[in-house]
Amino acid sequence: MTSTELSVRTPSAQRPPRMPGSAGTRGDRRGRTTNLTLGPSPLARAVALAVLAVIALAWLLPMLWALLTAFKSEQDASDPEHWGLPRHGFTLRGFRIVWERGDLPLWMLNSFLIATAVTVVTVLVSAMAGYAFSRTSFAGRRPLFALTVAAVLVPPQILIVPWFRQMLGLHLLDTYAGVILPQTVAPVMVFILKKHFDSLPRELEEAARIDGAGHWRIFWSVLLPLSRPMLAAVAIFVFIGAWNNFLWPFVSTSDPALMTLPVGITSVKDAYGVQYAQTMASAVLAALPLVAVFLFFQRHIVKSVATTGLGGQ
Amino acid sequence: MSSSPASPRPGVRSTRLLPPGLFFALPFLALFAFFMLWPLAQGLWMSLTDSSLSAHDPSFVGLDNFTEAFKDAEMWRSLWHTVWFTVISTVPLVVVALGMALLVHTGLPGQWVWRLAFFAPYLLPVGVVSLLWIWLYQPDLGLLNHLLDVVGLGQVGWLSDRSVAMWAVALTTLWWTVGFNFLLYLAALQSVPDHLYEAAAIDGAGAWRRLWSITLPQLGRITTVVTVLQALASLKVFDQVYLLTKGGPDNSTRPVIEYLYDVGFTGYRLGYASAISYIFFALVLLASAAQYAALRRREK
Amino acid sequence: MLSRRGALTGALAAAATVLGGSALSGCTAAQAADTSTVRLWDLFQGADGGLFDDMVRAARPDMPGTRVERTVLEWGTPYYTKLAMASAGGRGPDVAIAHMSRLAGYAPTGLLDPWDPDLLAEYGVTEDSFAGALRPRTRYQGRTYAVPLDTHPFIVFYHPEPAAKAGLLRNDGTLDTDAFSSPGAFLSAGRELAKASGRQGIAFGYVNDPAQGWRLFYGLYRQTGGVLALPPGGRAELDEDRAAEVIAFMAKIVDGRVNPRQLDYPAGVASFANRQTAMILSGEWELGAFRAADEKVGAAPFPTVFGTPAVYADSHSFVLPHHPDPDPARRRRTHQAVAALLKASRLWGTAGHIPAYGPVTRTAAYRELRPQAHYASAQEHVVLDPSVWFAGAGSDFQNAMCQVLQQALLDGLSPDRAARAMVRRLNTFLSKPSPA
Repeated sequence: MTSTELSVRTPSAQRPPRMPGSAGTRGDRRGRTTNLTLGPSPLARAVALAVLAVIALAWLLPMLWALLTAFKSEQDASDPEHWGLPRHGFTLRGFRIVWERGDLPLWMLNSFLIATAVTVVTVLVSAMAGYAFSRTSFAGRRPLFALTVAAVLVPPQILIVPWFRQMLGLHLLDTYAGVILPQTVAPVMVFILKKHFDSLPRELEEAARIDGAGHWRIFWSVLLPLSRPMLAAVAIFVFIGAWNNFLWPFVSTSDPALMTLPVGITSVKDAYGVQYAQTMASAVLAALPLVAVFLFFQRHIVKSVATTGLGGQ
Repeated sequence: MSSSPASPRPGVRSTRLLPPGLFFALPFLALFAFFMLWPLAQGLWMSLTDSSLSAHDPSFVGLDNFTEAFKDAEMWRSLWHTVWFTVISTVPLVVVALGMALLVHTGLPGQWVWRLAFFAPYLLPVGVVSLLWIWLYQPDLGLLNHLLDVVGLGQVGWLSDRSVAMWAVALTTLWWTVGFNFLLYLAALQSVPDHLYEAAAIDGAGAWRRLWSITLPQLGRITTVVTVLQALASLKVFDQVYLLTKGGPDNSTRPVIEYLYDVGFTGYRLGYASAISYIFFALVLLASAAQYAALRRREK
Repeated sequence: MLSRRGALTGALAAAATVLGGSALSGCTAAQAADTSTVRLWDLFQGADGGLFDDMVRAARPDMPGTRVERTVLEWGTPYYTKLAMASAGGRGPDVAIAHMSRLAGYAPTGLLDPWDPDLLAEYGVTEDSFAGALRPRTRYQGRTYAVPLDTHPFIVFYHPEPAAKAGLLRNDGTLDTDAFSSPGAFLSAGRELAKASGRQGIAFGYVNDPAQGWRLFYGLYRQTGGVLALPPGGRAELDEDRAAEVIAFMAKIVDGRVNPRQLDYPAGVASFANRQTAMILSGEWELGAFRAADEKVGAAPFPTVFGTPAVYADSHSFVLPHHPDPDPARRRRTHQAVAALLKASRLWGTAGHIPAYGPVTRTAAYRELRPQAHYASAQEHVVLDPSVWFAGAGSDFQNAMCQVLQQALLDGLSPDRAARAMVRRLNTFLSKPSPA
């Protein structure tokens, strides 16, 4: 699957799945689960642990290998005879060169700005629309919602050609707006948030309404604060998707100064040819932000995937 | 849906100019109309013209693009590559994710490490993933070929050998995205009620018996869902194929999305690319319908 | 997290600034860059990439106040796709490198702007600055779209010791091309080279390569006097007998006994550099790699095997990506910068490329370059890809031809059937509508 295309369905508000990481990390609970699934046999535990360790090692290996290469000199990196530890010691040279060249930090900034803008616009606009479809009535509400749900089936990949034409006409190729705007249309998020608002109890709003609160107050001061976990889940999901999106930023930018991280590091080459240590250094630097974020917000991210990625089925 | 929408009260802000519902829906509807409905219509129109990247004005050609596409062996070939990739990526992406989730769910120590190891690749931008794997797949210098040398097997042309390249792309995809399905499975496993296990333990069922008769049957539904989501996502493959092999060697891994990119932007033929977009769209709708039917049958 | 009102509003304001700012002004870094910068796209990596930087430095005195800002993109199809897309959007670089063989797919589409000959002349670049064989290819409908930087022919490199031992060198140390002047002579020269080197004779790396097979084939085919006419919408005219003769000869070269049978491109380069072979059929751009392995490495224009002199080649050229309303001052600077680069192109010659700018190749300094001077005459007889929109360097067309040739050279497809298969694939290309 391409990370740009997280096929997402709605969360089931009726039967919220228990999140990994919510209760499962506590020691007592963990021991209990082990007993329940593996039984008390120490052999079974040892075997399971060994298998798990082997798979985890295999999964970490590509990243460790990239790290190792990134800290080598070019000479050691392209020495087929000594592919393990470097013969001439470790060096930060690769990192220094790619950082000083300056385009990598620029692409990171572009990715950050674009992903943030996509996230803010998508979450706000989708929450408002979710509210409209859940809590208000207006002419055409039902057919418009049905249309929104149907649009979940449209793969964005088929829109790149008309989008390109459109942006060509609007003179928005190679602008931030041109990269951002098409990514902010997320019918699936509207659907998720509509279902979410449906599941919230109405008593609080009734109280606010009696106090004379209008729709905007109810939306902004009552429902949104109640929905923080869900909004965070949607926001994380949208942000990861936008940060990693490739195809549309790739098609809509050709000026290296406007490129995002995934596009820049794969399109723009080094005049001095393929330098493996430098390539891996830039890969490591490019990987860093989201992996670091994951280390800090592991629980939220895991939860976000579980709620947003599955739901409603 | 049984809501009783609040009637706008007199004197409330923002309800004067527009019905409040429309006010809330409008920003989304505007973006939706402008960047999805309009391009969909525009794409359909372009598929009936000889629209080009070059400066000339497009003219209407009727269904010519579609008739050409149906006779275009390269298009069928690329559609087949897409379908084939979907098959060989979806199966391991479901099975391996399940295996990982079952193992992690045992509650063995190191939960944090396992989750990091399996899910972290998913957070890497595809550009990074492809750089990493091109390096791993290098002839002579890449880790995988070193390891093959160590165990005495010959080197493999991971990305240059026609019979291997698609599998290499699928392997990269497995590594990259399995963490997502893994988390979905983990969430589902944690909602399997404990009392089922407790009852089984009282009956003296061993670990394997519990796996086969309790855990797996409880995962039937989520497996269908994960498979459906994965298959739909795999059908849309482009990024990693383009970055790893450019669709080669000799277009033997080129998926249909890359073909429409090649036709439209490399070959300048936006009209023809639009027709292929719509043919692909039909395939996705077909797959969605089939999967919906399968889901419905399961529910019964 | 984000639901904090303050954070949300702040981020929203930031987003609005980004969106609004760029949308309203349509401003990009491209246009914001001050006018003293000339933005150039090229596809030179490795030794060429470094040398190009040197050339930019050397050209500075001839373009006072101008800074050339290079962007290096991936060679081949991705480069040309990006260039076309950027030009279609009117936001391409000020100047770009393109293979002259690709011009037929670009000039008629409105994706390029023509050069101003008066402006070029003002900076010392005129029509007759360039070799006669290239001139017609720089123009489309009477206007100049390409200013050639170099010619890069497909030639032969050899190690002098085994070549001398095999009796294939003249007294002045150059290759005796007469010893290669027929298919039979060529093959027996290969046998002599293999004997003299104690290993193998002639290397040719082509397996899974999207260009090499075609480079060798088309040069040889044109030596037979064969023509290749590709009228868009019509049928391809290829002399199948002559094509089959050439293919049969190519298959005999890669016989697997005297010469290696299945080398891919890097393996071909390595086998010659490591002296596993005494000669290699290769582009001159590998000179740097070969000289690093053997500082006395020799080179010669591709021998005339089939009677008519013809050397397959291409040319890196400067082109102007289309801009809807170009700033005249910027265009002037671009013309000046390109002229300055041409004048500094003796450096480019050190990499092996033949500078296209005549005043450079006529200098004594260039004529002293060895072995460059030994194959500089190749530019008299260069043959470029047919001038048709789908051909040229990094094209699908070259790749398709190479696939057919590989089947004949590696998988035993008979030469006459291979020739017919080429015609079939050519007709498929011709049946597609031209973008122009």
